[in-house]
Amino acid sequence: MKALSDDELLEELKRRLSINHKTIKDCNDLIKQLVFTNKKLEESEKVISHFISNVTNEIINPFASILGLSNNIVLSKPNDIDKIKSMATLINSEAFNLDFQLNNIFIAAKLEAGEAIVDIYNVNIKDLVNSIIDSFKNEIKKKKLIINTEFLGAFKKNTNPNFKTDPNKVRVIIINLLSNAIKFSNDASEIEIKCSIDDDLFTISVKDHGIDIDKKDQKIIFDRFKRLDNSINDKNRGHGLGLSVSKSLLDILNGKIDVMSDNKLGTTFIATIPDNNSNNEIGDFSNTGNDFLFNDKEKF
Amino acid sequence: MTNEHIIKHYLQPTSIFASDKTSIIQTILGSCVSVCLWDKKLHIGGMNHYMLPFWNGIGLATPKYGNIAIEKLIDKMISYGSLKKDIVAKVFGGGKIIMTSQNKTFQIGSQNVLLAFEMLKNEKIPIVSDNTGGDFGRKIQFHTNTGVVLHKYIENKPIFPTKTH
Repeated sequence: MKALSDDELLEELKRRLSINHKTIKDCNDLIKQLVFTNKKLEESEKVISHFISNVTNEIINPFASILGLSNNIVLSKPNDIDKIKSMATLINSEAFNLDFQLNNIFIAAKLEAGEAIVDIYNVNIKDLVNSIIDSFKNEIKKKKLIINTEFLGAFKKNTNPNFKTDPNKVRVIIINLLSNAIKFSNDASEIEIKCSIDDDLFTISVKDHGIDIDKKDQKIIFDRFKRLDNSINDKNRGHGLGLSVSKSLLDILNGKIDVMSDNKLGTTFIATIPDNNSNNEIGDFSNTGNDFLFNDKEKF
Repeated sequence: MTNEHIIKHYLQPTSIFASDKTSIIQTILGSCVSVCLWDKKLHIGGMNHYMLPFWNGIGLATPKYGNIAIEKLIDKMISYGSLKKDIVAKVFGGGKIIMTSQNKTFQIGSQNVLLAFEMLKNEKIPIVSDNTGGDFGRKIQFHTNTGVVLHKYIENKPIFPTKTH
């Protein structure tokens, strides 16, 4: 081994020290990441316990009122028709909400189990969007909301353009966006829905005039079970699953979702879904799976 | 066995398929990774197809992420009666399909592969064969009764032209 001069020795020591500094910095960064992950874990633990208490409020209470109201109808007299009608409306509204919440839970479970399969059909988007808006008509009436729907892009040339996608998944995405818009809208305000098909890309934006979402909160609203206001109250129903379900559904459709909210004029959610034809993810294979031809060398 | 109906399943990205019936599971991989688990005693198997290594807490904890997909696949095998000690694994995919950067940390494919190797090691499931990395996509077909995986490269063309990540 060659002897080092004092200068060389100092150089070498400096070099090693600087490596050490770098290692320490890397370690600190990793520790920061760990602390962050730990915080997330703690939060998710809290979220689970909140979820359980939330289930009582969101599932058992509506069931209790449905049972109570329907019992009242059974016991009512024939000349109480107005009363019966209003009770039936309440039952309908509770059942509608229950159906929506349960659907989200089941879809989330399916997605998390990796059992959600994409089923592609030719979809008439206009009919789909209109039928979803129609299904919310009681909620819309209750809050005296005005829904403005606009169809742009390919809808202008052809009133009923078809689009290749999975209608059930797109339906759930739109239902969640619209339900959120209705939930967070102020009474008698307006919700703007814009749909367009451009270059094999379907875009739907849903704008409400309710509360706006802080920039820092915009990152966490897609976390599952995350609700910005955790109090259990009438305005704030649901499990905090809607946006995370929508995000994951868009993931498997190769779409994306953006949120815009920085002008104190409410919030806009924009979902974009590519036509299934234009996405080559499965190359030259059909969805149902063609036969593969292999030779012996390709056995593992 | 000869008259048994064989289930043919095309595995879509981010999903999992396992069955206690004789099945042929096929999928196409770019930078994604598939782990095939096979029970050498029961002669049953399952496969996942994940796109990214770790779930970041955004959206649902779906098998789009390797750490979730591998755990769920093992759970599924166990639910069909497999014992962990009888399970062997084969790992495929993780090609460098998206030409982004020379920087290794940006190569999703190699991260995906690394995660599979690490996780299976921690779970003490032996990897009996693998074909990963490279600049190409792959078609694979897993025969769950024999544990054989047929594997073919596909030409180097952008598999995910619309993908942003």
